[in-house]
Amino acid sequence: MNSLPPVILIVDDDEGHAILVKDNLEAAGLSNRIEQFRDGQAVLDFFFPSRSGPHAVKGGTYLILLDIRMPKVDGIEVLRRLKADPQLQSLPIIMLTTTDDTREVERCYALGCNIYLQKPVDYGKFAEAIRRLGMFVTLLHVPPVNRG
Amino acid sequence: MGSKQRDEITTTEGFRARPESIIQSSNDAIITKTLEGAVKELRDIKAALDEHSIVAITDPAGRITYVNDKFCLISKYSREELMGQDHRMINSGYHPAEFIRDLWRTIGSGRTWHGEIRNRAKDGSLYWVDTTIYPCLGPSGKPEQYVAIRTDITGRKADEAKLKDYAEELAEKNKELETIVYTVSHDLRSPLVNVQGFSQQLARACETIRTAVTLAPDGKVPVLALKQPVEATIPQALKFINAGVIKMETLLAGLLRYSRLGRDALAIERLDMNALIGEVLAAMKFQMEAARADVRVGLLPACRGDRVQTNQVFANLIDNALKYRHPDRPPRIEVEGWVEDGRAIYRVSDNGIGIAPEHQAKAFEIFHRLNPDSSTGEGLGLTIAQRVLERQKGKIWVESVEGAGSAFFISLPADAPQAASPR
Repeated sequence: MNSLPPVILIVDDDEGHAILVKDNLEAAGLSNRIEQFRDGQAVLDFFFPSRSGPHAVKGGTYLILLDIRMPKVDGIEVLRRLKADPQLQSLPIIMLTTTDDTREVERCYALGCNIYLQKPVDYGKFAEAIRRLGMFVTLLHVPPVNRG
Repeated sequence: MGSKQRDEITTTEGFRARPESIIQSSNDAIITKTLEGAVKELRDIKAALDEHSIVAITDPAGRITYVNDKFCLISKYSREELMGQDHRMINSGYHPAEFIRDLWRTIGSGRTWHGEIRNRAKDGSLYWVDTTIYPCLGPSGKPEQYVAIRTDITGRKADEAKLKDYAEELAEKNKELETIVYTVSHDLRSPLVNVQGFSQQLARACETIRTAVTLAPDGKVPVLALKQPVEATIPQALKFINAGVIKMETLLAGLLRYSRLGRDALAIERLDMNALIGEVLAAMKFQMEAARADVRVGLLPACRGDRVQTNQVFANLIDNALKYRHPDRPPRIEVEGWVEDGRAIYRVSDNGIGIAPEHQAKAFEIFHRLNPDSSTGEGLGLTIAQRVLERQKGKIWVESVEGAGSAFFISLPADAPQAASPR
């Protein structure tokens, strides 16, 4: 049951954010493999492969850290598509984004996101939020995906 | 006068010997006096009503049997022209058939109707009246005639329409403000996270170096201790801090540009579009040659718009066609135009990289960039084009095939007289 820790997929068009998140997750002692996607389309291609390229492994476990505002396909659309797929809807999705707009928060939960976290501008808080997130992630049981 | 009369009655009744006829004639006099009083009162009320209201009376079939001066004044018909005519002669055709049917159903069944009606005067001008139609019922309970009392509310209606326009304009402004607030909450925060985060990494790198220096025996710092901070951490942090600052600067400049759009006064005039596209292309001559672009411009219909802003819209579209050209072939750009239902439609098409169907709606979103890595730009060009066109009653939309090219369509009011008269 509790085999490999889930692969963490950071979906963020801002390379700096992705690095800061990754650094802080590692600083929290997380040993999970971390993959990075630059926009929503890239992560959709990973789960709904239409062409050759990296794609999800059947039976693998994944956890998504999803930004909202991204080129091409935004995070809301990624969330909607993944949660609408019967084989992928149990995939944990953590929204990790700069805005704290309540309508945005409500929309994400309505679409089935598991957690909504704001990236604080203050770096001390940012690092702390990501560190706690990392500790939380180690406690999670993540179901394997049935698609690959 | 009246009280004296009443005294007499008491007196007459006191004497039994008085003949009945005297009492009778005395009663007639009282009735006459009472009637005269009542008639005077009614005449006064009618005079007051005529001073205030537009009054008409029709027979049960709707033929006019009476109009007051105010009715003649507002309808611009003479009394002679109106009398005996069907009341529908002032119908403006504005109200749906159901509205008129309901009016007749109501008064036909003996109930008062109240509502607002738009009528047409003799000279074709339109006026609004707040209307009460009262059915006067005969002994059988059926209406014998209809009395319509109206008040001119044309001015109020015009004000209402103006208010509605203002409300729409405000809604538009609010939408614009919301866009800006949304952008600030999303896009301006992102670079701040980087500036703060990587500053912290710089501070840590400094700390690492300081520790190495403190620990160094006889002031000789080992190279290995400096390698990571100097070669990796510091350059990376500086790169992201700089990029963040530039990003914020670009966003702020773009936001200001976008919010100032609404303030520029528009000068709507007839635009000779072939001349306008010629100017756009001349200004971009250097870029065109550098990209070895093949540009074809067809015969374009004239339209009505603001010269400067329309020029910017087309310059932006042609610039996009160059920017998003396909790496495997030199860019080919075509500008065509035609008139359709009073609108001048222009198509700017290219053979570039195109936009996938699912991304096409996003192309007009503020600060949204479909290919942030492939070219420079702030993600504002199409947003501004759309906004500029909306302000001059224009539209923009896109049709595109990924990998084959895009066609942007612009619709503006056609230059009507020019289009109507063949040269």
